[in-house]
Amino acid sequence: MKPIIQLENVTKKFNTLTAVDNISLDFQKGEILGLLGPNGAGKTTLISMICGLLDTTSGEIFFKHNKNEKATRAEIGVCPQENIYWPKLTCKEQLIFMGEMYGMSLKKAKERSQKILDLLGLAEKSNIQAKKISGGMKRRLSICLALIHDPEILILDEPEAGLDPQSRILVRNFIKSLTNDKTIILTTHNMDEADRMSDRVAIINKGKLLMTDTPDNLKRSIGEGDLLEIIVDKDVSERRADLLESLSKKVDEINIKGYSIIIMSKNIVEKISGITEIIKRNGFIVKKMTLRENTLEDVFMHLTGNKLMTD
Amino acid sequence: MKILSIINKSIKENIRHLWLLILTIFLTPFFVGLYWAISEAEKPNYEVLLVNQDAGVEYQSKKYNYGSLIIEEIKKIDKDSLQFPMTIKVTKNRTDAIEKLKDNKADALVVIPDDFSERFHNLLTSNEEESITIGFVGDLTSIKYMVTAIWAAETFSEIIYTATDKKNPVKITETSLGISGKMDDFDLYVPGLLILSIIMLLLPASISIINEVENKTIIRLKLSKITALEFLTGISVVQLIIGIISIALALLVAVGLGFEYAGSLFNVFIIAILSSVSIIAISLILAAFTKTATEVLIVGNFPFFLLMFFTGVAIPINPKELFSIAGYPITLQGLMSPTHSVSAMKKIMIMNMGFIDILSEITALLVLTTIYFAIGVWLFWRRHMKV
Repeated sequence: MKPIIQLENVTKKFNTLTAVDNISLDFQKGEILGLLGPNGAGKTTLISMICGLLDTTSGEIFFKHNKNEKATRAEIGVCPQENIYWPKLTCKEQLIFMGEMYGMSLKKAKERSQKILDLLGLAEKSNIQAKKISGGMKRRLSICLALIHDPEILILDEPEAGLDPQSRILVRNFIKSLTNDKTIILTTHNMDEADRMSDRVAIINKGKLLMTDTPDNLKRSIGEGDLLEIIVDKDVSERRADLLESLSKKVDEINIKGYSIIIMSKNIVEKISGITEIIKRNGFIVKKMTLRENTLEDVFMHLTGNKLMTD
Repeated sequence: MKILSIINKSIKENIRHLWLLILTIFLTPFFVGLYWAISEAEKPNYEVLLVNQDAGVEYQSKKYNYGSLIIEEIKKIDKDSLQFPMTIKVTKNRTDAIEKLKDNKADALVVIPDDFSERFHNLLTSNEEESITIGFVGDLTSIKYMVTAIWAAETFSEIIYTATDKKNPVKITETSLGISGKMDDFDLYVPGLLILSIIMLLLPASISIINEVENKTIIRLKLSKITALEFLTGISVVQLIIGIISIALALLVAVGLGFEYAGSLFNVFIIAILSSVSIIAISLILAAFTKTATEVLIVGNFPFFLLMFFTGVAIPINPKELFSIAGYPITLQGLMSPTHSVSAMKKIMIMNMGFIDILSEITALLVLTTIYFAIGVWLFWRRHMKV
């Protein structure tokens, strides 16, 4: 299948800082592709280049195989990271205004505004000035503004930022419902959001694309099985080598850092008593133990050696 | 101690807004220097026109024209002995002289009447004490007219007194241009206030533009592929409507309070509309150099001060002519559109001049507005809308 957007060796430099470093990536029609990375990874810079707000320093961006086709770029809807709206216009007024900015007739813009306000649960607030609605509603209004011209490609920069749990579910279901006819690119530093929402996830760190695949394949790529995280009473760095040697005889993969020992293995439940015995033998007391499936956070940690949220 | 911490924090913040700090500190010294350069370095030149309508007098079969003789005497005055530069020009035709006055090319017209020789001769040869009436014409509201007229009256009196030895030999009759003779202080201030209300558009117009940048809604507009010209034209139209409503109300209030004006209201509105557009165009340039409403208020002081005090709106100015186009003087201050607005308003509302008489000002306003607008749109696009 031909990609709807194709990035070829895209680089963006700001003076000496390389914000996006030689990224090549395809976006397929009808998929949700999550750009996962910590703050400052280059996600927003990348989408700014895709939607035409920034020029590339080098590399090419193709839309339906057209190079830098501005008319095609107008088919992109963008919900930026910050809630951007006209505070003194009502929700409906600003949607109609933006519809007209995208060349829609007044009648069509009115109809479309009402429709998406209904879909995102803002119908009751349609005649209220945007500055007077809640933070979560402003986020939903921002998504409405990205969708007013019914774009083929929708870019959502941290769409769930500032949303309460109820709104989060509403927005997730809404975004999922759009995939019949739209390609959705969402950037997030929230692994759960990326995991639940995305058909594919592209992991970005320090401007570089580290890996792209489905969430399941990404998780599988770092090893099969469950994950056991053990927090001990003191820093394990000094006895790292001994612990690694002892534990590696029992499990597939071990990651030791600070007070944390993360172990991945099949049938890990059966091995728990042996693992805790080794830890005690090395002079540590187990303070907390968590057993879970591996996550995209683990994938990110595996790839970069750092946690996603704290980087 | 908390006060010290606040002072420390405030100093850091001010220093880190360095260019705003520099602008704030140097704004007033700069304008003091600029005003000195204009008012002191460029001394105003006063110009008086003389029209001799004297029919002459015949005495002992000889014809005498004392009007011509007195003009010759005046011409002999050593200019260097005067405390201010005075240019004396003789004009044959009263109509041409009045046209020059209307175009601000001269400050006063002295008309030597047709019976001047006859009366002068009477003073010379009889004991009659009847003064000779000399006509002065000018804009009675102009300081330059007053200086010129006083000098001319004194000079005529002195020459005639020296020749006739009669006290108070000259009586002056003044003819005002337009309705300048009837105007009181209030009438004089209103045209300037109208232009001032237009200049006041500068900051709100800039803020209404920069709000889109400050709220980042400009990003949404950029995504919709709107052009800088479309965006700025849209905002400018609204500001123009606000400006026109403001001027109409100001004029209505002034008339209600007894403001008397000459000329056509239609012409007044033509100038008001053009002036508003030109100020809005300047506000685009201001918006291009700022990012927030606060910056507009600080940086905006600079053009606001210039437009208010160096165009003749608040203080009369005597700009030096650099060159002229089709007889219309081009000055440094003329690069600022309100200079032409003030000139046009004065011509309409004080001099009672018509549309043809203000064509030069209209042309200057159109040219300047087009230039400001083009610069404003280009700068705004480069600074805030360019990818």
